[in-house]
Amino acid sequence: MQAKDFLKKAFPVILLTAVVAISVTALTYTDRMTRGEIEAQKEVQTESMLSEMFPEMSRYEFRDDIYTIYSDGDEIGYAFIAVGKGYGGGIDILVGLEDETTLKDITIISQKETPGLGTRIAEPSFTDMFSGLNIADVALRQDGGQVDAITSSTVSSAAVVDAVRTTAMEKVKLIKASEEGG
Amino acid sequence: MGKFGKEFAKGLIISNPVFVLALGLCPVLAISTSIDNALGMTLAVLIVLLGANVIISLIRRFVPSITRIPIFIVIIATLVTVVNLIFHARFPDLYESLGIFLPLVVVNCIILGRAEAFASKNPILNSIADALGITVGFMLALLIISFLRQILGTGNLAVFGIHFFDLPVLKEHPIVIFILPPGAFLLIGLIMALFRRTGVMKE
Amino acid sequence: MSEFATIFIGMVLINNFILMRFLGLCPFFGVSKKIGSAVSMGVAVTFVMTIASIATWLIHNHILVPFDIEYMDIVIYILVIATLVQVIEIFIKKTNANLYFAFGIYLPLITTNCAVLGITLINATEGYSFTGSIVAALGGGLGFTLVLAMMSGIREKLELANTPKSMRGLPIAFITATLLGLAFQGFGGML
Repeated sequence: MQAKDFLKKAFPVILLTAVVAISVTALTYTDRMTRGEIEAQKEVQTESMLSEMFPEMSRYEFRDDIYTIYSDGDEIGYAFIAVGKGYGGGIDILVGLEDETTLKDITIISQKETPGLGTRIAEPSFTDMFSGLNIADVALRQDGGQVDAITSSTVSSAAVVDAVRTTAMEKVKLIKASEEGG
Repeated sequence: MGKFGKEFAKGLIISNPVFVLALGLCPVLAISTSIDNALGMTLAVLIVLLGANVIISLIRRFVPSITRIPIFIVIIATLVTVVNLIFHARFPDLYESLGIFLPLVVVNCIILGRAEAFASKNPILNSIADALGITVGFMLALLIISFLRQILGTGNLAVFGIHFFDLPVLKEHPIVIFILPPGAFLLIGLIMALFRRTGVMKE
Repeated sequence: MSEFATIFIGMVLINNFILMRFLGLCPFFGVSKKIGSAVSMGVAVTFVMTIASIATWLIHNHILVPFDIEYMDIVIYILVIATLVQVIEIFIKKTNANLYFAFGIYLPLITTNCAVLGITLINATEGYSFTGSIVAALGGGLGFTLVLAMMSGIREKLELANTPKSMRGLPIAFITATLLGLAFQGFGGML
């Protein structure tokens, strides 16, 4: 009698626990199934972005968050991801370096800025300004640099500029350090 | 066929989730910037709604009242997560486009509403019919709005990369407002008023 | 500091939860007929958003990520939110019966409010810091409340106006939202 009563009262909780257990199993299974493909996608995306930025690229190496770009055995540049703090959240930027002082190009990977205004940071009219620029000159013109901010999108423009410059300086330090270390 | 057909038809017009019940508006307005999105979202909703209705209808006699809602929520959330992962792996562009609204299907009033109001009280075939009818109704509403927004807002009609045609005037000078958020509100308000005016749907 | 200011203003005005992000629409059209209930709803939602943000931030960063089970996020977040709303409901019922009655069905409906689950997901995707998430939640909630209050003020007046029959109720509300949205678009170039 006791056991039957207990079972009756505990049943809702048991059922809920069972449902949660099934849910966790199903999700873990699905995750394992899809994880491979999701990772692979990122690889393909990265590779296509890098080869667009460095047309002569034959292969690349990724270590310590820095991509080293090779063209048939010669190092032709570096690349890394910088994250700017824009309006709509993070702005993911792929930054390419020709060498330790000059920018090759930038590509805006993802952003959620204001349509028609801040989103124009992804347009060539903005990103082209970075090509060939000295890292030290990566600043808004109003701050003494060489990049014109997009009208009415100072925050978006500044977010990109600051992220690119700061991260570039960081990465160059790392590159130099690893070169010295051999 | 009678009962099945009746439940199906209900979801289409009389109980059209978007224009009549005004449920699940968040994704409808946010997603409807392109027909691709509309179709993708419909697929997601179909899988989740059908799955949820079927499962809940199957276990409806075993579920005690108290834990009803939490159990429904776990079932729906699991289905949504599965769809989210699969879309991420198999349909990456759609996944990017739908963004946050794919996981948000979990709180789409349509799904929990149907589970609660229908599937938990009806046998399995009727529940399937209900799910299909509601999804088709949802799809129609979503397609109408997305079609209008895409044509008026960008001037071209392209679905999944297949280019159908461009409207000459609109391609040069698209009415941008329709692609922007306010345009969505505008369209749905006008369409609702139209439906009422022509008597297709009542208050 | 300015990062928080950007997040906050972004959430309230520029990427307003209702008018730009389309989050939190259900109560927007249901509750917004009287200013009093609109503001109460807004405050309640903001409260839930903030507490949910804190709870889910902790879970995301200290459990989900370290154990590599991020895919459990949707299930866990919604359960946390549902529990939270339930607890708040019981609390309000015990302390202020009038308020409980006034909210009616809309209180449990906060669980399915896209804005609440939405902010928890946004916090995770954007990778906001602990304080950043709280700022984002407060901003989002404030923006939501703001628009809800404006909408209800307008609708109160609309009740007395001579609206064409087919437009009454929801349709005209949507048109109003269009105009509000257009006005808010102007904030886009603010900073």
